[in-house]
Amino acid sequence: MLLESIEYTRPADIKEALTALGSSEGAAPLAGGQSLVNVLKHRVASIELLVDISRLEELRSIDVGEDGVEIGACVTYDEIDRSEAVRGALPIVSEVAAHIEDQQIRNRGTIGGNCCLSDPTNNFPPLLLALGAVMNVESESGKREVPAEDFFRGYFMTAVGPGELLRSISIPRYGPDSGAGFQSLSVASDSKAIVRASARVTLNDGISDARIALGVVGPVPVRHTGMEDALRDGPATADAVREAAESIGEDIEPISDTHGSADYRRKMARVIARRAVTQAIAEAGGGE
Amino acid sequence: MSRAPAAETAAPPVEKGERLGKASGKSVRRTEDGRLLKGQGEFTDDIWMHRQGFAHFVRSPHAHAKILSVDTSRAMSLDGVYTVLTGAEAKEMCEVPFFQIAPPPAGQMEEWPLAVDKVRYHGDAVAVVLAETRDIARDAAELVDLEYEPLPSVVDTVKAADDDAPILHEEVGNNVAWHGVFDYGDIDWALDNADHVVRIDRLHFHRFSSTPLECNAAVVNWDPGTGVVQIESNNQMPMFASMVIGPTLGVGSNKLQFRSQDIGGAFGIKIGSYPQIAALALLSRKAGRPAKWTEYRSEHMLSAGHGNERTFLDVEVPVLSDGTILGFKVRAFDDAGAYLHYEPLGAVIWSQVTPGCYKFKHVSVDYTETLTNKCPTVPNRGYSRLQHLWMIERIVDVVATELGLDPVETRKKNFVQPDDYPYETPNGCVYDSGDLPASLDLALELIDVERWRAKQKELGTGSGKRIGIGIGSTIDSGTNNFGQAQIINPELPFSGNGEAAYAKLDLYGEVNVDLGTTPQGQSHETTAAQVVADVLGVDHSAVNVTAGFDQRHNTYVGFSGTYASQFAVTGLGAALGAAEMLRKEIVTLAAIALESSEEEIELEGGECYVRDERERAIPFIGIANMVYSNNTVIPPDLRERIGLNCRYVYTPLFEAPDKERKTGNLTLTYATQIHAAVVEIDEDTGRLEILDYAAADDCGRVINPQIVQGQVHGATALGLGASLYEAFEYDADGQLLQSSFYDYHALTALDMPMMKYGDIESPSPFTPTGAKGMGEGGGAPLSTICSAIQDALSDSDSVVADTHNPWWRIHELLSSGAANVPRGVQTEART
Amino acid sequence: MSEVGDKIHPISVTINGETYERTVEARQLLVHFIRDALGLKGTHIGCDTGNCGACSIIFNGKLVKCCMLLAVQADGAEIETVEGLASDGALDPVQEAFHEHHGLQCGYCTPGLLMGATYLLRDNPKPSEGEIRRAVRGNICRCTGYVNVVRSVRAAAGEDVAEFPATGAEGGSP
Repeated sequence: MLLESIEYTRPADIKEALTALGSSEGAAPLAGGQSLVNVLKHRVASIELLVDISRLEELRSIDVGEDGVEIGACVTYDEIDRSEAVRGALPIVSEVAAHIEDQQIRNRGTIGGNCCLSDPTNNFPPLLLALGAVMNVESESGKREVPAEDFFRGYFMTAVGPGELLRSISIPRYGPDSGAGFQSLSVASDSKAIVRASARVTLNDGISDARIALGVVGPVPVRHTGMEDALRDGPATADAVREAAESIGEDIEPISDTHGSADYRRKMARVIARRAVTQAIAEAGGGE
Repeated sequence: MSRAPAAETAAPPVEKGERLGKASGKSVRRTEDGRLLKGQGEFTDDIWMHRQGFAHFVRSPHAHAKILSVDTSRAMSLDGVYTVLTGAEAKEMCEVPFFQIAPPPAGQMEEWPLAVDKVRYHGDAVAVVLAETRDIARDAAELVDLEYEPLPSVVDTVKAADDDAPILHEEVGNNVAWHGVFDYGDIDWALDNADHVVRIDRLHFHRFSSTPLECNAAVVNWDPGTGVVQIESNNQMPMFASMVIGPTLGVGSNKLQFRSQDIGGAFGIKIGSYPQIAALALLSRKAGRPAKWTEYRSEHMLSAGHGNERTFLDVEVPVLSDGTILGFKVRAFDDAGAYLHYEPLGAVIWSQVTPGCYKFKHVSVDYTETLTNKCPTVPNRGYSRLQHLWMIERIVDVVATELGLDPVETRKKNFVQPDDYPYETPNGCVYDSGDLPASLDLALELIDVERWRAKQKELGTGSGKRIGIGIGSTIDSGTNNFGQAQIINPELPFSGNGEAAYAKLDLYGEVNVDLGTTPQGQSHETTAAQVVADVLGVDHSAVNVTAGFDQRHNTYVGFSGTYASQFAVTGLGAALGAAEMLRKEIVTLAAIALESSEEEIELEGGECYVRDERERAIPFIGIANMVYSNNTVIPPDLRERIGLNCRYVYTPLFEAPDKERKTGNLTLTYATQIHAAVVEIDEDTGRLEILDYAAADDCGRVINPQIVQGQVHGATALGLGASLYEAFEYDADGQLLQSSFYDYHALTALDMPMMKYGDIESPSPFTPTGAKGMGEGGGAPLSTICSAIQDALSDSDSVVADTHNPWWRIHELLSSGAANVPRGVQTEART
Repeated sequence: MSEVGDKIHPISVTINGETYERTVEARQLLVHFIRDALGLKGTHIGCDTGNCGACSIIFNGKLVKCCMLLAVQADGAEIETVEGLASDGALDPVQEAFHEHHGLQCGYCTPGLLMGATYLLRDNPKPSEGEIRRAVRGNICRCTGYVNVVRSVRAAAGEDVAEFPATGAEGGSP
C-alpha cells in the first residue's frame, strides 16, 4: 500500500514529457494512475521517475471526422462515455468505456493507460483490435503509426518503447453495412473479465468481412483468423456463426485460475465470440 | 425466565420489559449517525498517541518452513527505525504461550505472539518493525533478512488428519485439533428401519470471510511508568483477548486497558486480533513508546482470520415414505488453519442447532477439526452454525429432489411446528419460539412464487436460459452458554454468559448508560437508549449511551464484547436491569422529596411526580442533587444504599451441560430466517442472475424495526457474496490466491438484488424483553442459492454439493450429466 | 538519480474551501496526506488496490478514489471531503436522507458513499435504482447490503421510498 521512494515531474508539454521519459530507464508515464498506482503500491516495478502526463492538453482531445475518431491517450473513460461526438460515430466505443469498473475509476482512468498497461483482462485492447484501430506513437525523433495487432506485445508490454509516448488512438468508422460487437463474461457485474470477444462484421449478401478479437485467452488480445475465415463469404445466420465459433479450440491457450479452467475459458470464448458476432450482425442490419 | 440479579444489584427481578413500548419498538433515528455522517467517527487509525511509532509486520511467504535465521541489522540501521522485534525475542519477553481452548494433545500447542522456530502459513508473522513513519516501517520490513527452509505443507482439510501428513506442531504430534462423536437418538436403528436411505458422498462448505471494510488496527502503549498496557483497538471481544494475552504478557487484567469507540464492521473476524495486539505490546515495551498498527487489506486477507471451511463426507439420511426425515449421519471435517484462535470451540458451537429447523430425532456427527497450513480460522458471521445448517438444508433439498417430493411440503412436514415450542432438540437445546411454516409462506408470498412458477413453466426448455426457485431455512442461535466449552475440554472453567451495564443519573440529573459491548454498526447506543428511555420515562434522545467500550469504566464481565447475536438479549438485558435499578432508586428519593409513598410516584419527561397531582413534582436534577451535593436530605440509613450509580449484570438462566453425553441447553434464543430466491441461469456460460429475493425474519420482539431489517439485509448480502463471488483458496503449495478485493470480489451494489423483507414476531419467553439475539443471520442465502440452482437443474443429473457456485461450477453442474460425472448421491429404497 | 524529477514537492491544495500549503514526498498517496498530514479523518482506507471506495472524494469536480492519486498530483486542486458536507453542524440533504433511512451501520464506508451520492445527484437529480447502483458500484459496504443505501439516495433525490421496492414479481434486480 505504501510506495517506494520515487521521483515525480509534471512536464508542461509533450516535448518536455518525451525528454523526461528518455532521461532514464526508470522513467514511466503517469496518466490516470488507476493501474499504475496499484503496481507501485505492490512494489513490483522498477520505476524511479513518474512523468505526469495526465494534464497535457495535447493528449486530451477527441476529434471526430469522416474517417473516424481520434481519441487522445489521456482522455478518461468518463469523458469518452459523455462525448456525444464519439457516441454518434462509434457508439460501441462509448459503451465499452461506460462499463469499465466504476465511476471513480472512469473519472481518472484513460484509454491510453488501458492500452499501455497491457493487462490481458483490460477492456479496450480487444475492441481496438476488432475495429482495426491505429495507435499513434510519438518520440523525440517523430511520430509513427502502429496498427493495433502490432501494438500489444505481452504482459504489460507494448510497442511503446523507452522515451516514447502513446499520443492518441485512431479508430476508423464503419459504414451502414457493417456493425460491431463487444461481449464479456465477467466474474460479477462490471468487473474482472473471464473472457472477452469483440467483432466487426460487414454484410454484403452474407458476411463479406469479419474481424474477431478474443481477450483474456492469452497475454495479449488475439485476432482469431480461423473464425474470421469460417465466417467470410458465408451466411449471416445463427447456425453459421455457431459453427464458425467451433474453430476456436486448442489454438488458444488461456490460463486456468479460480475463475475458470483453460478448458472452460476455451468453451466460453466460443460462446462470447458468437455473441459478439451476433451483436455485430444485428447492428449491420442483418441476422435472424 | 430471568434470574435474580447478583448480590451487588438490589433491583427486583425484571418482568419481561413491561415498561417497554414508547421508544422501544419504533424505528427511531440513530444516535451514532450524527458523528458518522460527518466523518467524525473515531476509528482506530484515527487515534494518535504522543511519541508513537508505526508498526509493520514481516510475514512469511511460505506455507510451512523452518526459520533458519533472522537478521535485523539492515532494518535497524535504516534512518527512522526505532526497533525490530523478532519471534525469539518475543518469546523471551513472555511468561507463557497463548492459552489454548483445546484439550491435550492439541492444547499443548505453543503459540507465541510471533513465530519462533517455524512458520506455518502464508502470512504467519515472524517479526515486527517500529519506525517514525508508516513509510519507513514499510521500507524497513523489506530489509529484515530471513532464511527459511521450506517444508512440505498440507492444505487439504481431510488429508491433514492422515498419519503421514506433514505435522504443523511437533508438540501436538498430529494435525487433529479435536475429535469427537456426537450421537443422539439411534441413527443406526433409523437407517435400518427407514423406507429410503439417501446417501450423499460429499458436501463442501468453502472458506470465506465477511472482510469488514475497516481492517484490524491497534495503538498499544506499554507505559514504562505505570506498567499499564493501554490498548486502543477495534478488537470486538476485549475480555477474551485480555484473558489470553494477560497471562502471556505477564500483565494483570487490572493493568490491561482495552478501549474502542467506532469499529468499521467486525463480523467475528475482529475476535482474532489478540496475537497481533500481544506482539504490539511487546514491541511497545521494547521501544519505550506507543506502537501503532493499521492492517493492510492484503495483510487482512492473509492473516486476520477466515471463516470455517467444512467438508461433510458420507452423509446418510433415513427417510419415511411420507417424507418424514428421521435424522442423519455424517463425518464432518473442519479446517482450523495453522493455529487455534478461538478454535476448536467451533467443534461444539454447531450443536446449538443440531437438527436445524427440523424435528430430526436421530443425529450422529463424527467431527474432526484439523490443522492445516492456512490462515487460522476465527468466528465469521454465523460461526460454525452456518456450515451445519447449510448441510442440513442440502440434505432436505436433495431428499426432496431424489424422492420426487415437493420441497415446500417436505420442509413444512419436517419443520418444528408452532405448537411444539418450547422445543427440546435431541441434544437438549431448547428452541424458544417461532413459526417456521408461516415464515416460509411469507417468504414465498414476498416473491410471488406462483407467478414465477408460471414463468418457469412458460420458459420451458430451449431458450438458453433456465429459471430456478429456491428456499433456504436457517436458525440463528443467540446468547451462548459458554459451558459448551466444557464439551470440548472438560477442564475449562467456563459456563453461562452475561453482560454488564451501568445506568446512572449524573451530577445534574443527566441519564448516562455504559455498556460492556463493542458495537460495530449494530446501533447499541440507539437501542440501549430506547430501552432505558422507556424505563425512566424520558425521551430516548435524553439518554446518553457512552460510545464504545472502555475497560477502565469497569463495565464488563468475562464475556463482554459484541459477537454471537446476543446484544438484544444480554446487552439490552443488562441495560434494562440497570435502568430498573436506577428507577427504583429515583422513585425512593422522589418519595422522600415529595413526601409521598413510593407506589404513588410516576416518571415522565425527566421528572418524578405524585400520581394525580402533576404539579407535585421534582425533576431529575433535583433527585441527583440529593445524592451528589445535598445528602443530609436523605435519611442516614438510605445514604449508603442509594448512589444513583447502578451496575447490573444480566445473566441468562443456564446450567453446565452434560459433558459425557454432550447435551445441554447451549443457547438461550433462536431467531429464524427463511429466504426465497428466483434465479436465471445462462445455459451457455453458467452465469446466474438473481431475479427476485426475499427474507422472512423472526427475531422475537423487535426493539427497532429499521435496525433489525438492516441486519437482515447485511447478512443476506454477505451470504450472496459468498455464494457467488467470494472464496479464499489456496494452491497446492499453500499460497493464498486471493489477497485483494480485485481477486476476492466483495459483493457490490450492482451485484445485489433489491431484496424484499417481511417479518413475524414470536417473542422469546426466556429473555427480559422478549427479543432474541439476531444479526448473524444463519447464512440462509447459501442454502437458498444452492436450492435455486438445484431447481434449475431439475432435468439434469447433478447435485449441488458446494456452497460456492461461480459460473464455471454452475456450467459444470448443467453439463455433468452428459459428461458422466459421478452424481455423488445414491438412493436406496427399502420397501 | 535523474535531474528531471524530485522526491520532494511543495503543493497547495484547497479542501472544503480552505487552502493548505505543504511539502510532500512524491510517493505519498493523497489519502494519507488528507488523513495524516491534514488530520481530516473522515476519508477512510479500506483496501490497498483502489477497489473499496472508502477513500472517495470529489477532486476538481470529479469523484475519485484518493488512494489512487499521489498527493503531489493534487497541487492546485479543489477537493471536497465528507467534512465539507454539513454546514454549521447541520446535516445536508444527502446526509439527512441516510440518517432517515438507516443508510449506514458501522459508518466506515459512509463518507465515500456520501461523496458518491453527492456527485451523482449533481449530475442526475432523479436517478433510477439502476443508476444509483451503478453510481456506487465502486463503494463496498459490508453492513447494509446496499438496500437502505439505495433507498437513502432515492430519498435524497426527493423520491418516495415507502413503497420501494415493489413486492411481487415486478421487483427484482435491474
